[in-house]
This record gives sequence, structure tokens and C-alpha cells, in this order.
Amino acid sequence: MCFLLIRSLLSVLGGLLCEHKAHLKTAAMALEQFSDVVQRCQALPDDSYTTEDHDVFTIAGRTCIEEGNSAQVLSIVLDEKNQDIVRCMGWNLLPPLIQVLLKKEDKHLSQCLAVFNHLLKTCRPKELLIGLLEQLEHDDPYSTAESLHLLLNPLQKVLLCLGSSKASSLGMTLSSVLDQVTKLPLPHTKEQEEDDVFFLCRCCTDLTDFVRPFVQEARQNNLNSKAGCESGDKMAGEQDRGKEDELRTELLKFCMKTLSHPLLEVQLKDPDTLAVSPLRNFATEILNSLSAIGEPLPSLVYQPLLKRKQVPGFLEEEVRYPKESLASLAHLVFVHHLASDTFPSVFSPVFSLRCNMEHICLLLSRTDESRIQKGLELYEKSLVRLEDGSLPADLLEIRTLLTVPQNLVKVMTICQRYDLRTRGLKVFQLSIDKFNTEAKYNFFQYMLKTSSHSGVEGYIIKNIKNQVDFALQAGNSNTWFEGVHLLPLLRKVFILPDGPETDLLQYLDRIMESLNLLRYLIIRDKVTENQTGIWTELYKIEDTFMKPLRVGVNMSRAHYERELHNTMESKKSKAKEESVLSVSVGDEKLPNMTSESQIQALHSALHTFDMIESVLVRIEELTEVKESL
Amino acid sequence: LKMADEPTREWSDEQLKSDDLPKKDLIKFIQDNAAKSFLNEHKLLGNIKNVAKTAKKEQLVIAYNQLFESKRFKGTEPIEEVTEQVKAVKIEEKPKEVKEVVDEGPPKYTKSVLKKGDKVNFPKKGETVSCWYTGSLEDGTVFDTNIPAAARKKRQTKPLSFKAGLGRVIRGWDEAIMTMSKGETARLEIEPEWAYGRKGVPENKIPPNAKLIFEIELVAVD
Repeated sequence: MCFLLIRSLLSVLGGLLCEHKAHLKTAAMALEQFSDVVQRCQALPDDSYTTEDHDVFTIAGRTCIEEGNSAQVLSIVLDEKNQDIVRCMGWNLLPPLIQVLLKKEDKHLSQCLAVFNHLLKTCRPKELLIGLLEQLEHDDPYSTAESLHLLLNPLQKVLLCLGSSKASSLGMTLSSVLDQVTKLPLPHTKEQEEDDVFFLCRCCTDLTDFVRPFVQEARQNNLNSKAGCESGDKMAGEQDRGKEDELRTELLKFCMKTLSHPLLEVQLKDPDTLAVSPLRNFATEILNSLSAIGEPLPSLVYQPLLKRKQVPGFLEEEVRYPKESLASLAHLVFVHHLASDTFPSVFSPVFSLRCNMEHICLLLSRTDESRIQKGLELYEKSLVRLEDGSLPADLLEIRTLLTVPQNLVKVMTICQRYDLRTRGLKVFQLSIDKFNTEAKYNFFQYMLKTSSHSGVEGYIIKNIKNQVDFALQAGNSNTWFEGVHLLPLLRKVFILPDGPETDLLQYLDRIMESLNLLRYLIIRDKVTENQTGIWTELYKIEDTFMKPLRVGVNMSRAHYERELHNTMESKKSKAKEESVLSVSVGDEKLPNMTSESQIQALHSALHTFDMIESVLVRIEELTEVKESL
Repeated sequence: LKMADEPTREWSDEQLKSDDLPKKDLIKFIQDNAAKSFLNEHKLLGNIKNVAKTAKKEQLVIAYNQLFESKRFKGTEPIEEVTEQVKAVKIEEKPKEVKEVVDEGPPKYTKSVLKKGDKVNFPKKGETVSCWYTGSLEDGTVFDTNIPAAARKKRQTKPLSFKAGLGRVIRGWDEAIMTMSKGETARLEIEPEWAYGRKGVPENKIPPNAKLIFEIELVAVD
């Protein structure tokens, strides 16, 4: 038995030894093959290397590096006699080299680094480029981040060797790099940005360093061509200009892409919150780059309104300047004040608002909360620069001046986040405050006509009341909120959508504000003066609004009282907990309530009807008193 | 808000399915009663004959029923139709007011010519002008300039271009530039009312109620 054990142990050991030997044999064989092919090719001119030569070089060379024979590879690669072969085939060794470099702790690191650097200097740039770009692709964010950090600098070196034909290669590189960047999770809080666990910030900083020389080149091209133009030098060939335009176009594409991702997705922190912010620096660099390559920021920000000359080239206007990127740019300039020292301080605030409305409209029409927040911020910043009552009525003929409030209403009523809903309302009121009197009047009419939300309508009616109050004060008289224009507006306020059958609870906000307004008018306007016209209109309002409302209140009250009675009866008789009352919000029926909550809801409804009635009664009292005077 | 009375159904389900009911009648009904966006979505806009060629009877019946379900009748759609109505309201109900000529008083800026222009090429409203400029506050602080200074880091700069007389720039600039001719350099002192007023532009170092001083060289007119 012992003998059997020893035999099996020996065979296992033997197997291992065999593997090791085979391993060594493979490694040794590979080294031999590599040496051989290199020697053989020394004598040949480089255009006569065969496919087999290429293959052997590649496979053997890669194996050598994988098996740890990088020292030998290094000496072969550095050998003067081998430079032609290295130039031709060396780039094929990149994959295993880069694997080693990414591992960082490999004992062959310094040798592999030496091989790598030599290849970068010796091999053909276009082939190196392909080899490097292939190694960027990874599945997991960590490897992606590490390979970007490792390879951006070598990629830059290689591209700089391409001379004046580098533009399309640069474009390809930037495109691949940005694709990889989208795989990195974004930091959202200040702490996340500081910790940079997924290296997005480091990546952005690396990117800035990467593009810098190309931006400089484009800037220089620009300056030279201007100088050339001025001195009447038309000798600068069409071809050269074409290539310069290509470079500028690729850099523009890059900037536009980054404005969308990551810049539109992250919330930049202000200097007070985070003194050193890699993301803020990155954003600033992008803005500066745009200026440097000859895309001045005002033209970009104000683009919606400026008729830009059609640039002959390979990108159409819309593709060249994606709307979302321009909106992101506007936000960086106006909300974060980045690159403000290069932005002229001569444009009128009304013009800025008009242009920004396009960007705001785009941002607010998305459901993405980060975009909605930026839209609100941009809108707010644009509005606070204006004095109250300074926007004229003809501005409302611009489409966005009406579609933006519509989008705002959606945010105020549907958005999931409470802080965005509140902020939306604040900005909504701010926008109303900036309109002049006629514009406010038209805006209120428009909102009453197009709104389908009782809360919004109530809010508008409250604003109407405030405007009437303002107009009635000494010195503020105007023809819009008193006199001949007020009545048509009031007629749109004092209506019941479904007459006496109107669902009073659904329209409560609107009804209460209407009643408040009516009560206010009765109290404030003297019968003898009738500045608002209410006293001549009142009989109509009584017929079309107050009487049907009274009837509606009575009907609803009777209905709910009966429901309450039934519910309490069925509760007493301890019948099945079958709900009599169903509550719907929008189109969805809420889950059935317990009888306790049903009773509460019914009481609450009845209280509401009492409230409506009490205001109606008060109005009638006041009317009698004033009319009898 | 009910904007229009709901139309009544003209045909029963049997009548709809029957071959006796021509497609054209159905199309006409829907075109007469549905909102424009509804017609657009169901591809029912346009000449009845053409629509009849492309639409199948079943599709029309479905559209007819959907119309009543969704209640998207004429006059129920916001924005387009309503904006027309809002505009219409403006025209109908606005009484003819005599526009009072408001006397605004003297211009709220002063100009002194530092270098004469060609006195021939004056910008017209809507024309593009290009200028070099420096802007400073009364205390001398320069808050903005686009002149590439030899001392400063060499930046890529171009003269500022904009369309004159359209309210794109502060009023002081708009008014002044129309009085300048090509090649002219002028010094402007603009009162806050025709600059950035009570608000100022704090982020650009312009305080509230600031009088602004600009030196402008008009290099090009369109």
C-alpha cells in the first residue's frame, strides 16, 4: 500500500515536472523561434518578409513576453541590426506588453516598459495607433480607467508623429476614448468627486493633457491663416486649409461630445463648496479649447438666434452643434460663470434670455431630473438679471416663451422630486414678475386657456388678483387689470367647467381662488366708481357662476351626506369591509380604504363644501350691503 | 375646460361595418370634427379623395371610434389652435388706442470721438459690425476687453461682431454704434439705465447702478 502511495505521488510529481518542463520547453522554444526569425530577417529587405515571418514573430514574441522572457526580447529589440524588423512588426507585441504594464507589480515591468517605449519611437504611427486603441476596450470600469490612464500619453506621442494628416486619426482616437469614458460611473457628491473611486476625474484631467497640443496646433493654424489672409497671401494651398479645417472639426466634435457626457450629467460644485474641482477645471478647459480653435463662446451660446454661415465641410449644422451640447454650454457659462473672463459683458439681458429660452426649453422637456434641474437653474439665472416688469408683450410671439411655461407646469405638477417642483413654482412666479403689464395679461389668458390643472389655474387667478390690486393703487393705473380689458379676462375666470355638475373637489383650487378674487373685487371696488367693471358684470357672474356653484354645493353635500350615513350604517352592522367610496387620482383608482378612512374623507369633503358655501354667502352679504349704500 | 360641444355619433356599429357607408363620408366626418393633431397622427389630413385612396375602411372605423374615446375634437387641442385664439383675442378686443409719444428725455450716454472714422460707412439697423473695445467702471477698473494686449498671454481674439440696432447689446452701445462710422474710435460714458441698470452683473464685476465707460473702435461694417 505504501508502495502504491509512493508510486502515485511520484507520478503526480512527474506530471508536474513534465508540465514545468513543457512550460520551459515552450518558453525556450518561443525564445529560440523569436531569435531565429529576427536573425533570418536581418539579411532580407523589409518588403520581402513573408507572412510566415510576421506570424512567427508575433506568436513567438508574444509568448516570450507572457512567459517572462522580456529581458531577452528587450535586447533583441534594441539591437541595431534589427531595427527594420522591429519597425515593421514590432507593434504586434503591444498586447502582452500592455497587459504587463497594467499589472504594475510584475517583476518584468521595467523591461517591458523599455520595450514599449522603444516600439513607440520606432514603429509606424498608424500601426501603433491601431495596436494601442485595441487595448482600450475593457468590460469593467476599473480596467477601463487604468488602461485610459496608461495609454493616453502614448497615444498622444503617436498622433503627434502623424504630421498634418493626423486629423482623422485624432478623431478616431477621441471617439474611442470617449466611448470608454461613458463606462465610468460618475461622481455625484462632493465627497465622491474628492475620492474619485472610479477615476473619472483623473480621466478628465488626463484628457485635458491629451488634447492640449492639438488644440494649440489648431489655434496656431487659425492665427496663421488670419495673418495669411491679412497679408493677401493666397498661396496657402487649398489642401492645407482643408486639413486645418479637419483638425478643427475633430476637436469641435470632441468638445461637443464632452459637453453632453460627462458634463451635462454631473452637477458641478462651486468654489465655495469644493475649492479644487477636477470636473470644474475640465469644463473650463473645454470652454477655453472652443475659444482657442476659433469657436467663440458667444456665437455658440447665442446660436439659436444668430444665423450662422453655412460651413462647407463634412458636418451639417445640427450635427456640428448638437442642441444638447449647446444647452450644456449655456449652463456652464451663465450658471457656473466658467470662462467668464472671455465672455463679453456687452450683451443685453433680454437678448440673453431670448437665446437661453431655446436651451431651457430643451432641458425642461426631458424627464431626466439632472437636466430639469439645470434647465431651472439656467432659467432662474437668466430671469434675475432682468428688472421686474421689463419684458414686453411682443416677446410672447416667440414660440419658446409659451412652450417653456408649459414645460414648467409639467415639472411643477408631475416631477418626482419635491425640491424641483418647488423650485419650478418659484421660477414660474419669477417669470411672471418680469413680464410687463400687457404681457402678464396675455400670459394669464394663455395659461387659463391651455391649462388642464386646477392648481395651476388657481395660481394664475391669484396672480390676477394681485395685479388688479396693484392697478387700483394710486399711480399704477393701467388699462389691462382695470377698465376695458379686465372684464374679458374675468369672464375666463368665473366659470364652472361642467355647470352645477362640476366636480367641486377636483376643481377646488381654482374655485377657491376665483371666489377669493370675487370677494376681493366686491370689497375693494366702490359701486360708484366701478373701476374694475365688476358692478356692471356682477349679475352675469351670479347667473353663470354663483348660482350654479350654489346648486353644485347643495347637490354634492347631499350626495356625500348620504354616503356618510351609509358608511356609518354598514360599519355599525359590521358588514363586510366593502368600500362604498372609491377614490381616483388621475385615471388610477387608489386601493380601497378602510371604513375609518372613508369616514374621514367624507367628513373632509363635507367641510370643503361648507367652506365654499361660506365664501359664497359672504360675497352675497357684501354685495347686498354695498348695493344698498 | 370644455371648449366645444361634443359632436354626436352619426352611425351605429352596424352601419359602420356595412358596405353601404362610403369611406368618403366617414373621412369627411372625422375631418370636420377632429383636432388637427388627431388627423395628423391617423394620416387623415388632406384632400378627401386622396385619403380615401390610402386609408382602409377598417382603419377609418377604428379612427372614428378612437375619436370619441379620446375626445380629441376640434377646439380641444392646446398651443397651436389656442395660440391662434389668443392672438385672435388680442386683435378683436383691443380698442384703438392712440399711441402716446413717450418723451424719454435726452440720450443716456455721451460720446467723444478719439479718432475720426471715414464718415461715410455708418451701420444701418440689422447690419453686422465688428469692434475692439475696453470697458471700465468709473473708478477705472477694467471689467472687460477683447484687445489682445502685448503684455498678456497671447490669446486668440477676434473683434466682437454683432448685428446693430436690434437690442442684442446694451442700449448705450446700440444707440452709439449707429452714430459711428467705419474706422472711428470713440469714448462712451453710459448711464446705468442704458447699461445694466439696478441689477448690474455681479459675476462680471459690474455693480448695481453702475455708469460704464467704453472705448470702442469700429473696425468693420458688414
